[in-house]
Amino acid sequence: MRDYIIRRLLLNIVVLWMVATMVFVALRVLPGNYAVAQFASANIGAISDETIKEAERELGLDKPVLQQYREFMTDLVQLDLGQSFRTKRSVWSEIGDAIPYSLELGFLVVLVGFSVAFPVGILSAVRQDQWPDYVLRGVAIGGLAAPVFWTASIAVFFVLAFNLFKIDVTGQPHIWEDPKGALQWYVIPMFAGGLASTANTMRLLRSQMLEVLREDFVRTARAKGLDERHVIIRHALRNALLPVLTVMGLTVATIVGSQIVLEQMFNVPGVGRLLFTSIIIRDYPATQGLVLLLTFIIVTTNLVVDLLYGFLDPRVRFS
Amino acid sequence: MTESARLPMLDTGIQLRPTGWRSVRAAFFSFMLRKRLGAVGLVVAVVFILVAVFATAIGRYDPDQIFQAPNPDYKSDPSISDLAKNQSVGSPDIVAQYESPSATHWFGTDKVGRDIYSRIVHGAGLSLTVGFGASIIAVAIGLLFGVPSGFYRGWLDLILQRFIDALQAFPALVLLLLLVQIAEPSVRNTVIALGIIGIPTTTRLTRAAVLGVGSRDYVAAARASGATDVRIMIHHILPNIAAVLVISFSIGIGAYILFEATISFLGVGPSNVVSWGKMVQEGRAAIDIHPWLSVFAGLAIASLVVAFNFLGDALRDEFDPRLRGNR
Repeated sequence: MRDYIIRRLLLNIVVLWMVATMVFVALRVLPGNYAVAQFASANIGAISDETIKEAERELGLDKPVLQQYREFMTDLVQLDLGQSFRTKRSVWSEIGDAIPYSLELGFLVVLVGFSVAFPVGILSAVRQDQWPDYVLRGVAIGGLAAPVFWTASIAVFFVLAFNLFKIDVTGQPHIWEDPKGALQWYVIPMFAGGLASTANTMRLLRSQMLEVLREDFVRTARAKGLDERHVIIRHALRNALLPVLTVMGLTVATIVGSQIVLEQMFNVPGVGRLLFTSIIIRDYPATQGLVLLLTFIIVTTNLVVDLLYGFLDPRVRFS
Repeated sequence: MTESARLPMLDTGIQLRPTGWRSVRAAFFSFMLRKRLGAVGLVVAVVFILVAVFATAIGRYDPDQIFQAPNPDYKSDPSISDLAKNQSVGSPDIVAQYESPSATHWFGTDKVGRDIYSRIVHGAGLSLTVGFGASIIAVAIGLLFGVPSGFYRGWLDLILQRFIDALQAFPALVLLLLLVQIAEPSVRNTVIALGIIGIPTTTRLTRAAVLGVGSRDYVAAARASGATDVRIMIHHILPNIAAVLVISFSIGIGAYILFEATISFLGVGPSNVVSWGKMVQEGRAAIDIHPWLSVFAGLAIASLVVAFNFLGDALRDEFDPRLRGNR
């Protein structure tokens, strides 16, 4: 068990190093850099090569690429993500400012996702091939196929058309500061993102429940007179949950993707929007740091899920 | 050949499977009957393909044509104060902006007066090109990586798999955002970038299939008879993993279409083409008064993705039920 964890941690470090290298290379291959982009958007007219060279020197972009890579790696080993080109602040403090918003929205998305996926998945299995099953599966398939930006746009239309509440994307309140304002701001992205992330979980839970409900121990439980509720929740659901756990890692990856779109749409100053802006303006250190953060979250979730799997199911052996 | 000459063969009791085109046709119809949802998906996908191919005929108008409508505020002899209030008051026709669905414009018009129905029809081509193109690239590279990886195992497998791990752990949308900006945002480059996103899935599926086939007797027999590694891979392994290739080809198409729509929505998709994702974005500006553009473009994306998901799921169940839920 200990050896297994150590090996997985080492593998994760290798993966993180490879991702760091990939994002480093990708950024250097991208046309233009921060210095050039700044002068292009400033629109001052003709910029002499000298001015651009000067700006590049300031950002350290004039150094040979290999030296830049060496410095990036040396800093990374010391957990230093460098300084954002745009704000001149350390990437860590940028992350510190952005992450509460992303965690807030991410938590709400997961909350909606699971509180829809579980009852729906169970109901759909218990009422297999009856109308609730068809309706709910239809919704789930739609949720998987409908782009998150579209469901969010349509939700905005309904809110505006029926004047349900005011959508204010300028205040940016935290939920612990102004719960009502924050919920009004988050409610559309959280349901749009939740619906998108729920579909996979729901479908897997349904198929697992269908399998488990045919097992002998479920028949035994029914035969000894347990009420159906008890059978489904205590006996069937418990055993159906394990494989569902494995898609958690995938779900987190999906949420990371939809978060970029939703934060962009609703002006949430979170990690996703920061990353999108950083890529567009070629802010190398910020992009590198944020990609590594997201990758770290994804590989760690996968590791935790695998360990939890072995913990919950004694049949699983780590080797 | 007479009837009697064929009879002895049937007497053996062995049901001979029809071969060639007849078997393909029989398998196809049996698939369509057993997998209803897959059949629905196939029909919808074929309809969209036909729409894309005959877009000019079906689309009614040129997707870039700007329509004019009579100006309700038109005055033949406007005063200076009228012009100050409304600059277009002197022109009898103005751009047919944000029209609701009607007989002339089935889905209405957009902000600059273009026919939405025509643009939806012409947008099908991009989504299908992207879906099929990216899937072909992903499957091809998946073969290139997965077959040697599963065949040789050892250190080659180890290194390739770590690379695939890293590609998989890299948040897909972020990687895509980086890749699509490396070269100019053309359709071809978008397809290549999307294909790279699909590599981890196709490589994993291919490798697993090769691992399963590699230990079979016919591979050992081929090796004993002196076949080279390349020959074994092409003539003995490839035909036997064909089913997995079909699965990994069809299962990703929906996701690629969604990814293209997403980057187009974010404004970094292919330029100079009609894209459904871009249309949803354009529709957002005036969604409260004119939801039609976003609604129809989104419906087009969702129905095409649903179709390919149904088809992919059905093919997966048909060829390899064990893969169910592994995605």
